[in-house]
Amino acid sequence: MKRLAFPLSLTLATLAATTGLAQQSPFDMTPEKPAQESVPAPASPPQTAPAIGDPAQQTTPPQTGPAAAAPARPAVSESRRYLLPQPDIVLSGENALRSWAMYLTPEQAASPAKLNFGYQNAIVIAPEASRLKLSMNGVIIVDIPVESTESVSRAAFDIPAGVLRPGYNDVRIEASQRHRTDCTIQSTYELWSEINPEATYIDFSEPEAGRWQRVDDLRAIGTTPTAETRFNFVVPGADQAISTTPVMRLASGLGLMAEMPNQSFSISRKEAPPAGPGLATVVIGTAEELEPLLGKLPQGAEISPTTLIVDDSPFGPSTLVMTGPNWSAVGNAVEAFLTPLKRPTSQRATMSTHMWRMPDPPMVFEYSRLKFADLGINTQEFSGRRFRTNFAVSVPSDFFANAYGQATVLLDAAYTPDVMPGSHIDIYVNGNIAATVPITTGGGEFLRHLPIPVTMRHFEPGYNIIELEAVLLTESDNVCAPGATGSTDRRFVLFDTSELVMPNFARIAQRPNLSALSGTGSPYGRDAAQIPVIVDRTQPEALSSAATLLARLSVAAGRPISMDASVAPSAIGAQDAISVSTISQVPAGMLRQVGMPESMKTSWTENTGAEVAGASTETTLDEWQTRLRGSSWRGQISSLEEWLQRTFNVSLDTFRIFQGVEPEFVPNPGENFLLAQQQNPAGTGVWTVITAPSARLLEEGMRAMASQANWRQVAGRVTTYNNMSTVIRVTQPQDVTLVDTQPFSLRNYRRVMANWLSANAIAYSIALVVMSVLLGTATLIFLNALGRKD
Amino acid sequence: MLRFGLFLLWAFLGFCMLVLVTLPISLETQFITGMVVLIAMMILKLLGSEGNLRLIALAFGTAVVLRYAYWRTTSTLPPFNQLENFIPGFLLYLAEMYSVMMLALSLFVVSKPLPPRPSRRNANKRFPTVDVFIPTYNEDADLLANTMAAAKQMEYPADKLTVWLLDDGGTVQKRNSDKMIDANAAEERFRDLQKLAADLDVRYLTRERNEHAKAGNMNNALDQSEGELIVIFDADHAPARDFLLETVSYFDDDPKLFLVQTPHFFLNPDPVERNLRTFEKMPSENEMFYGIIQRGLDKWDASFFCGSAAVLRRTALAETNGFSGVSITEDCETAVELHSRGWSSLYIDRPLIAGLQPATFASFIGQRSRWAQGMMQILRFRFPPLKRGLSLPQRLCYMSSTLFWLFPFPRAIFLVAPLCYLFFDLQIFTASGGEFMAYTLSYMLVNLMMQNYLYGAFRWPWISELYEYVQTVHLLPAVISVILNPRKPTFKVTAKDESIARSRLSEISAPFFVIFFVLVIAVFVTIYRVYTEPFKADVTLVVGGWNLLNLIMAGCALGVVSERGEKAATRRVAVSRRCDFKLGDTWLQGTIENVSVNGARVNLIGAIPDGITIDDRAELRFKTHSDGNQGVLPVEIRNVERGGQNVIIGCRYLPQGAAHHKLVADLIFANSAQWTQFQLSRRGNPGLLRGTFWFLRLAFYQTYRGLVYLGRAARDRGSDKSASMAESRL
Repeated sequence: MKRLAFPLSLTLATLAATTGLAQQSPFDMTPEKPAQESVPAPASPPQTAPAIGDPAQQTTPPQTGPAAAAPARPAVSESRRYLLPQPDIVLSGENALRSWAMYLTPEQAASPAKLNFGYQNAIVIAPEASRLKLSMNGVIIVDIPVESTESVSRAAFDIPAGVLRPGYNDVRIEASQRHRTDCTIQSTYELWSEINPEATYIDFSEPEAGRWQRVDDLRAIGTTPTAETRFNFVVPGADQAISTTPVMRLASGLGLMAEMPNQSFSISRKEAPPAGPGLATVVIGTAEELEPLLGKLPQGAEISPTTLIVDDSPFGPSTLVMTGPNWSAVGNAVEAFLTPLKRPTSQRATMSTHMWRMPDPPMVFEYSRLKFADLGINTQEFSGRRFRTNFAVSVPSDFFANAYGQATVLLDAAYTPDVMPGSHIDIYVNGNIAATVPITTGGGEFLRHLPIPVTMRHFEPGYNIIELEAVLLTESDNVCAPGATGSTDRRFVLFDTSELVMPNFARIAQRPNLSALSGTGSPYGRDAAQIPVIVDRTQPEALSSAATLLARLSVAAGRPISMDASVAPSAIGAQDAISVSTISQVPAGMLRQVGMPESMKTSWTENTGAEVAGASTETTLDEWQTRLRGSSWRGQISSLEEWLQRTFNVSLDTFRIFQGVEPEFVPNPGENFLLAQQQNPAGTGVWTVITAPSARLLEEGMRAMASQANWRQVAGRVTTYNNMSTVIRVTQPQDVTLVDTQPFSLRNYRRVMANWLSANAIAYSIALVVMSVLLGTATLIFLNALGRKD
Repeated sequence: MLRFGLFLLWAFLGFCMLVLVTLPISLETQFITGMVVLIAMMILKLLGSEGNLRLIALAFGTAVVLRYAYWRTTSTLPPFNQLENFIPGFLLYLAEMYSVMMLALSLFVVSKPLPPRPSRRNANKRFPTVDVFIPTYNEDADLLANTMAAAKQMEYPADKLTVWLLDDGGTVQKRNSDKMIDANAAEERFRDLQKLAADLDVRYLTRERNEHAKAGNMNNALDQSEGELIVIFDADHAPARDFLLETVSYFDDDPKLFLVQTPHFFLNPDPVERNLRTFEKMPSENEMFYGIIQRGLDKWDASFFCGSAAVLRRTALAETNGFSGVSITEDCETAVELHSRGWSSLYIDRPLIAGLQPATFASFIGQRSRWAQGMMQILRFRFPPLKRGLSLPQRLCYMSSTLFWLFPFPRAIFLVAPLCYLFFDLQIFTASGGEFMAYTLSYMLVNLMMQNYLYGAFRWPWISELYEYVQTVHLLPAVISVILNPRKPTFKVTAKDESIARSRLSEISAPFFVIFFVLVIAVFVTIYRVYTEPFKADVTLVVGGWNLLNLIMAGCALGVVSERGEKAATRRVAVSRRCDFKLGDTWLQGTIENVSVNGARVNLIGAIPDGITIDDRAELRFKTHSDGNQGVLPVEIRNVERGGQNVIIGCRYLPQGAAHHKLVADLIFANSAQWTQFQLSRRGNPGLLRGTFWFLRLAFYQTYRGLVYLGRAARDRGSDKSASMAESRL
């Protein structure tokens, strides 16, 4: 009589099996996995480099651009300001946008200015249908057809008076690009324009514009022609123990002040390279030490802490001098300088990325609904084939929802009847596909808050770039009549009322976790204790590396790292600590603690890298596996595994029940810089070791890893860098310790448990089976005691 | 105290389970867990599906079902702002949640059914006075004669036993009907039955007006009689001789006992069984209810009165002024009322009566409509879940019994849901293919396995779905109407003595064919869409698979509504009794091999006289079980098979009076053990896989048969246009 009912058959088993193979298959339209085969486009994330040539190589220097206004390479004047914060600003695809903030001194803002703009683009771009626009503070300065296919074309544009203002100025570059002949989705990947960093700058005609007047003007440091930022420190007393802390603190502060994406520090005891755009010279020491170096010692330096921007004879204009009667006074000067940069202990609302990416991504700690409008996405209409836009959100360092978490995009969008079924909307997180919504109905549709579940698998502590892409197929593109590529019939619109819904996610710190370090500087970003930083001060390179690192961490943490470089290695005890030194100088016991043999101190040399610069074993293995795939039963098994991997992320690793013992880490040949992390022997803190076989490699590796492109790849328990191949390799930990960061909360523990069990499927199964046996038994006993007896 | 401790332990473990199950774990973990649990259940199944392992296996299943319910609730509902998807999607969700809830209730009810009680046949110390009520409305005299005769022959002190024939077909109201023909028929019935009753020493009782149908009829008899216990037999439910001996003594054990219910055992197949030809080999539909659910209810003191084959206590009934008549299922309603007043009930799992069930599909549906509507009325007017006086387990049990009858809604939704997608492109279930596999598929498999664990030997795979589907088509409107008009339905007596002379389509078969062809079209739409819309072929395949399942069910139902013509209306029961058979003038010795309500098959030794032909009269003489005297029953020869030494003769009874009916009753109803035997012979769990294959084969054949019948009906109609309605209804 009474029973259960659900009318699906066993035949579903087979149906669903084919389903899985056919790719992700939403019953309606909400997939959680991408359909890589189904898209004719490259599977890799949309920012795939342009297919045709390397624009950098095609750049043949100074040819006169169309505007012909720019003189042939004038000597770098001091009032020049390079515009690009990063070297690799490539606008690719049919629509692209970059925006950032540029800090100008009052003198620069007041000066008449001229913008020089240099770029090069793919040959397939149709100039009549494509435009590049650059605007500043909302005023369009450059609006040109995209037609520089041969070489970098340069043009000068006047910046109208009143556009620039002191402080932060919005810079926005937009591209709308169409293919000359091809209407396929594939062809949109061939569209790119690269803005040339060396040819894109502002010239201020007022000479004073190149001169810093006040300490705050350091924010206007900008970049070099290669889009880097460098602080050159002159520290005569660098080898004294007492000098290190103030120097490192100052580096933290300067890094935090400038917030440029590619900034590095170089510490020397005597001299500094000549100043120029993107460079700053900082002289720091006691009055006594500085006396012989400086042309003129600032007044009062012998009496009290002094901070000044001076125009000094050996070091040139705009030199920052910090001095005092003794090192503790210098330290006071540094601390006074840092005071305005400190942030309260309360949680920050946004992370600061505006110097290279606007707007600042909000920091999400708990359930929140973020409107696209607030994330910097405006309502956009689109007439091309592949629409792209992106935004960023940040999560804290104790984010622990990679395995189970799911955010939701509530999409407000519409597409016209031209858009055919088979089109899809994809969402990428940090370049990894996280959701695909197939468009399955023709005839156009108005999507109102369509929920798209976005897996949080690829979220990392710190900012995360989320990219939304709509691939739009139409009949007219199939036909592709002449001129069709440039059609301005709008097909798709994205409304800024769309939202990103971030759920409450599990929060607990993991040790080791280098991605927390790179994301938010955790655990060193807390203001509480002074972090022991062990650095080999006899080597200026080690000091430079430490300064670069600390500046990086300060930017990530949003406050100057509170540190103490005077602690002896033996006195670290149960604290968090950082060690920056060559391998031979790593304090005893620390290397072993972070999972490396002490023997590495002698065996890891500068030369080991030179031997194998080519293919690694892994890539060879991969290659052979690909070559043999499908040809044998082994191929069948591996394709089953692949299918499981694709559909459920199930791999053999999933069946691991017990945490493995962490194997000792040894760098591969060619890897000559590494960051390694592990909790300290007492389990009360985290030790991070940054090391390289030699001082030169240490500085070089640190500078490379601290760059915008590489820094966020720092993750796992060890991250290594190969300076020849520039390959970064992350080793994930086998054994992770979880450490409470939040006040006791059952809900949080539930989420933590969900994440841990999601990552350890077998543990969940066992738990469920054990629970079932217990509950079944209890029910049996309970039932025997209840009701009528047998 | 111990109980409370146990409850705390159980509640704690249950809570832990709930915490574990509602963790928002990832798809991969769900997938692996689903597999692990399925494998664990299979292993447990191999170790045996009875006893303590059963509950552990059910706990496994519960975990998976709960995970499904959690996932279904949290991540699969269409967005609220797409109303065209949300509304059907939410209905589907409700339907599924109903199924989950019913599963939970079933689990509670049948978690640990009481084992059958030992026989009390020889344990009677006291023989209280018993009134046997045989309510009748329109059943014919022969049927009643058998029942009355069997009732009279029950082993019990004669002075303590009074049998009453309660005739509602011969009331004063009927006899004075304005319609002359009806009035005459009632008058004649009144006369005949009075005489028959007198012959059988049964008291005939009728009343002024037909008020409150069956309940009113019985209440009238309650007023007229004074026995300590009341026994109710439907007109076609003839008891075995040991009926009273097995049931009466319980009333002395427990002064608060108001009911002893026994199962309804049927001699003839229901239309589904008859048309699918499963009666001989598969457990009947009602065996799940009487074989396991009533036993489960009994555990919680919640087995309820099923209208017949039960003993009730007069003092208990007096408390409620007799049988309640608010609903058209007075039986269950009375039980709810008495349970809520602290009386208890008891169930004996041993067939002690044999009856008939409706023979045609239309009357089967009529009967089910009455049950469904009655249960809805009870739900509406008594609302057991909140009824004061019921214990918590009783509330849950009655919830399970009454809410079950809402099944037409989910069943209809499951039927329509895939069509929403296939025909109208609505997206009412938000899930990806991977999620479908990890959640829905494991849920469905676990569900089937749990069904098998719970009811394995009593209900074969997919049969429940089939029964529900065939009822849904006509029950849905009936249930909706009773929900809208709870007081409207009136008691209709189910016809059980129809027979089907020739094969034909049921008169209410049209909707089944319509549904079948719509689903067939949907299959073509599936194929078309798979090819024209390859980008969502996966979704289409999943939904198409679901539709295909519905189609298989609908196809099988075509066989159900294609009524087979049949010679023997009732089942023959194997017996082995010495007899003499008079052919012409000679008595031959022989053995009665099997009997039915209509006739017997006799194996005779020795040569039979020449010139014996079909339709010849003969006489059958045998010693009765009741009093040990010889009796002679006139028969008519229906067929003759000659063997070497012996002759087998099939004959039909020609009873001409009370004495003859007693003989017939003695032949068929004397021995209840043979019924148990027959039931046991059908019980066997084919297992999920074998059962499914068996069902598939059955469905294909029945689809074919249904279509053949349809073709035949169309041809008949075409070739004989002048044929009247009556003809075309064949």
